[in-house]
Amino acid sequence: MRFQRITQSITLALFVGLLLLAAYPFPEGLPVDLFLRLDPLIAGGTALVVRDIALSLAPGLLVLASCFGLGRYFCGHVCPMGTTLDLLERPLVRRRRLSTEESAYEADGARRSWKYLVLGAIAAAALVGISLVHLGSPLSLVTRFYGLFLYPIALVLGESSLTATAPLFTAVGLHELAFMQIQEKVFATNAFVAAAFVGIVLLGHLRSRFWCRNLCPAGALMGLCSRNSLLKRRVDDSCSRCRRCVRSCPTGAIGEDPLTTAHAECIVCLRCVEVCPEKAVSFGIAATTGPTPAPSDLPTRRRLFMAAGAGLVVAGLFRTSIHRPKPLDKERALVAADLIRPPGALPEAEFLARCVRCGECMKACPTNTLQPVWLKAGLEGIFTPVMVPRLAACALGCTVCGSVCPTGAIRALPLEEKQHAKVGTAWILRQKCLVWEQDKKCLVCDEACLYNAVSFRPVPELQNAAPFVVENRCTGCGWCETRCPVEGASAIQISIIGEMRLASGSYIDKAREYGYVFKTKDNSVDGLAPDTFDMPGSAAPEGSPSSEPDAGLPPGFNVK
Amino acid sequence: MASPRDRREFIKTGLAAAAMVAGGPTALLGPRAAQAADASDLVICRGKAPAAMTRAAVDELGGMKHFVKPGNKVVIKPNMSFAREPGSGSNTRPEVVAELARMCIEAGASRVSVLDNVLQNPHDCLSMSRIPEHCKSVPNTTVNNLQAKRFYREVKVEKGKQVKTMDVLTDVLEADVLISAPVGKCHSSSGVSLSMKGMMGLIHDRMAFHGRYNLHEAIVDMVTVLKPHLVVIDGTRILSTGGPAGPGKVIPLDLVIASTDMVAADAQMVTLGTWYGKQFTPDQVRHIRIAAERGLGRIDLDRLKVSSITA
Repeated sequence: MRFQRITQSITLALFVGLLLLAAYPFPEGLPVDLFLRLDPLIAGGTALVVRDIALSLAPGLLVLASCFGLGRYFCGHVCPMGTTLDLLERPLVRRRRLSTEESAYEADGARRSWKYLVLGAIAAAALVGISLVHLGSPLSLVTRFYGLFLYPIALVLGESSLTATAPLFTAVGLHELAFMQIQEKVFATNAFVAAAFVGIVLLGHLRSRFWCRNLCPAGALMGLCSRNSLLKRRVDDSCSRCRRCVRSCPTGAIGEDPLTTAHAECIVCLRCVEVCPEKAVSFGIAATTGPTPAPSDLPTRRRLFMAAGAGLVVAGLFRTSIHRPKPLDKERALVAADLIRPPGALPEAEFLARCVRCGECMKACPTNTLQPVWLKAGLEGIFTPVMVPRLAACALGCTVCGSVCPTGAIRALPLEEKQHAKVGTAWILRQKCLVWEQDKKCLVCDEACLYNAVSFRPVPELQNAAPFVVENRCTGCGWCETRCPVEGASAIQISIIGEMRLASGSYIDKAREYGYVFKTKDNSVDGLAPDTFDMPGSAAPEGSPSSEPDAGLPPGFNVK
Repeated sequence: MASPRDRREFIKTGLAAAAMVAGGPTALLGPRAAQAADASDLVICRGKAPAAMTRAAVDELGGMKHFVKPGNKVVIKPNMSFAREPGSGSNTRPEVVAELARMCIEAGASRVSVLDNVLQNPHDCLSMSRIPEHCKSVPNTTVNNLQAKRFYREVKVEKGKQVKTMDVLTDVLEADVLISAPVGKCHSSSGVSLSMKGMMGLIHDRMAFHGRYNLHEAIVDMVTVLKPHLVVIDGTRILSTGGPAGPGKVIPLDLVIASTDMVAADAQMVTLGTWYGKQFTPDQVRHIRIAAERGLGRIDLDRLKVSSITA
């Protein structure tokens, strides 16, 4: 097998493996977000937006620095986006056989400069504090693609193939395999995620790796550092000008004259070395650039200014959007009441600045409550994570979302801190509540609550005790909303009232300061809440004394 | 029910035992119990070592060879539905479960499957119960939580008053021997959760039992089909309040109960324990009384041959 295919297989397997391991229980000490942090655009872009170079972003900057020596080897050997495109373009995209001229560097013309324009737009927006990194970062795109689109489909396929193979495994005594179960996951906006990726793959109709050669801003960034990299393609005198290398170069880095090389485009895949019948092509260390094809792939200054201007306009639009977290001169922000960010998410503006929408937290969330949002947080917030408690709640013993976040948009909190990171407050919609509206006996929200934050009290007009939320005990975890038996929307809903978003410092201390008392009913470190289906009617309603001999006892006893 | 083979048929059709019902409650104990007529109906073994107590109790009933024939497939149903340490009383002591599995293998069982449909995070439930850890050393024994619908098969409940059909774990239906190994604990709905209530861990749609049916009647309907061959109740300590999940008051009783009669075993556990600060007679627990009334076992403990031993 070709060297590049070996390295690509290894790195893609690593990428997929780490993504799969981004799950509960969290594999402590394993950098599951490593690939995201290797992306120079995520590292550089985020550092620019937040004006802070965190140590965790160092891998991306190291990759960028390494381009001075090795060129865009990252694109050819490491980047899972590049590997995925190599994988998918062959079977999925039927490309017209290109002539030698069409394959050469010169044929792409001004298209080459597009990636620098994308980079310019992202950089300009970053300069004014708006992150557009997720629109161009290949690792963000590809992680989202694998985590939110492919992964859930793979789960469905896995579970159905297990159904088919289980009898076989039983027959041959592989009981552990026969008993394997796969929990399915569902995601909002997955069609949009898929559409973006399908678009990128289909561009391969025009040229192989169209994204990598013309659009990828991370590729542009690395290209800038690779223009005179130490490791370069060299062609010696034995070249017969057959131009086989020109036709086989996946990024069109070779000019019509096969002696020329555009180093910023070369991904060091070494295919030109392999196809050369004269063994004239080699890669080696060289100080000078050697012959390069014209024209330059860099955009004109005028177009770069226009791209930067476009970036600034988008930033300006976001800044003046009604969804803006902290509009200047307005008394308050307009925030959807159900825009419930994961526990430990930074204050909204900083959160949006850091979040690269990779989807890692949503992929990793064991209950599936974390979902990518579409326009609820405005255009700026597309694909950011929100909790959807009606679907599932936040697991008590889990800190995975913060642990897997590559940029610290969700803080990696210790368990006890996370359990104090209030995301909102439960709110009873009395018109929908079975007790308040229909005077039925229902205690589900109380039983689902891990924090004793729902109290049932007698009210004058009802036979049954009615639920009240004790707001300073509620963390907003959402178990009550998940479990509420009312069909459709829940009669008890989490809204962001009282959410705590700390950029730094202790949630425990802050909760104490605010007078919150987050004490779990049970001190176990279980992942999920008790199953209320299996124990309804547990608590005798408070304040309803009775002289019956079995008062306060479960209905299973009949003392009379 | 003369042989394990019949048992399987019985579960599939729900008919095999019908004739025996006519003969009165004791006939339900079946030929197996009859073979060991000189053995006790029920054993209470006291002591401090759960594994040794388990072994002694089963030996007193005639030994595991009496229940498990060579080549048999065995399912053990413990409590391991909650992510809690053994000391909390929410789950069966792992030593009890592992010792039962070991005795089954010693008796020639081809395979022992410890099964439950847990109620909290599966990984945490299994690891914190420590049951898989203790069973690791027992050959041909697996511990699993099975939740996917495909592991279940619908069976008719011929004698069900409310429950007419239910989805039961296929492995249970295909097992030759079913052993119930619950912990003694209280339950916020059914009062206590012992061998009979514990069988709800082997069916798929538990919610219907609480929602659609009268729970107490439904439990009894269920155990007309899911009737264990052997019941071993872990009473080394009981969860006296806060059940089934806990936390609650844990009372050490230092005993293990074994019987072939699930109703008698549950009844005995009720009388030996304190629940919600009170003492109860078996007929004060609805589902136990209904089970006895419907002829599934005995609660006249004073007329049973009970041996009290120590180990």
